[in-house]
Amino acid sequence: MMNIHRCKKLISPVFKSSVLLEQTGVFRSVCSALKAPCHSHHSPCLSRRFTANVSSCQRWHHVYSSQSDTKRFYSQVCSESSDSKRSAGVFQEESHEMETDSNQRPSETFSLDVLVSLLRQENAVDICVIKVPEQIKYAEYFIVVSGVSVRHLRAMALYAIKVYKFLKKKDQANVKIEGKGAEDWMCVDFGNMIVHFMLPETREVYELEKLWTLRNYDEQLKSMPVETLPEDFIYDVEVTK
Amino acid sequence: MALSQLSRSLTGLLVETSSVIHQRTFSVTAVAAAIQKMSRVRVVDNSPLGTTPYHRAPRVIHVYTKNGIGKVGDRVLLAIKGQKKKALIVGHKMPGDRMTPRFDSNNVVLIEDNGNPTGTRIKVPIPTHLRNMDGDYSKILAIASSFV
Repeated sequence: MMNIHRCKKLISPVFKSSVLLEQTGVFRSVCSALKAPCHSHHSPCLSRRFTANVSSCQRWHHVYSSQSDTKRFYSQVCSESSDSKRSAGVFQEESHEMETDSNQRPSETFSLDVLVSLLRQENAVDICVIKVPEQIKYAEYFIVVSGVSVRHLRAMALYAIKVYKFLKKKDQANVKIEGKGAEDWMCVDFGNMIVHFMLPETREVYELEKLWTLRNYDEQLKSMPVETLPEDFIYDVEVTK
Repeated sequence: MALSQLSRSLTGLLVETSSVIHQRTFSVTAVAAAIQKMSRVRVVDNSPLGTTPYHRAPRVIHVYTKNGIGKVGDRVLLAIKGQKKKALIVGHKMPGDRMTPRFDSNNVVLIEDNGNPTGTRIKVPIPTHLRNMDGDYSKILAIASSFV
């Protein structure tokens, strides 16, 4: 019973504060559900919703780019021609169904938007999201977050994992907190996103944002002395297998 | 007889061309074992303990695995500059799985007891298959500057 209560508490803030997420979720699910693409007279209604999304989140460059991706997908879908057609009544009913359904069991994925919104809700200090370039095949987004105290960091990390567990699909692996022993630096790896929870002092020491934005031009890297081989070094026999 | 043996062993050696080609006067075998007790390792981060020179190379004194063999991702105990320090193996000379990188030196990153890295940057390439392994490797990957 406690579980249900906690889950309800979990869903309502995440979804109330991020209305645009729900819209994008509905938008994507509607797009996928319409295997045969839409009527021409349905498109103005969908695009109106979409422009509302775009205007509300123009602050973040990367979020905006993800929105524009969905828009491109939508226009691709619309441009295809099809035989089967859907009536207006069915479409309305479907979208209404999606919304009620998502209140009970959300059909969204644990994306960057969800993560950042929950971090903000947890009063995280200095959220820094860095989009990792494609050449570094590590992850897509690298997030560094500060907290007020050790307990705050732990609570944020546990809450993030709780939300992830709730929103993940069956085939996705579970996520664990790395570095539980170190109180001042905890890490969670969500596949395409990595979050680091650090205290401000630790953040000053490591300066991860500097490293991940200026990749090879980082100051600490440059100040490291260049390693030279000793003069009497002999290379070993090549091992081939 | 000794001279012919010498020349036979020298022809089997692949030596990098440098300004002065050093030649061994004895034959060598390729490395066979991964990191174990008493093996000398190379510390690759920018921690003060790892970068200041000492007249003895850092040696492994204990490997924290079931058998005493340390592969990539295992923790070891090093003796550096007269002190004991924990470290994480990030590359060894022994060939591992197919499609995993093999390094020309046994590389190690210094670690505190709570798992935090002692240094703040790593210049040497770090293997990316550390990410799929069980254990706390995200911190090492976060301070690495290049991946292999």
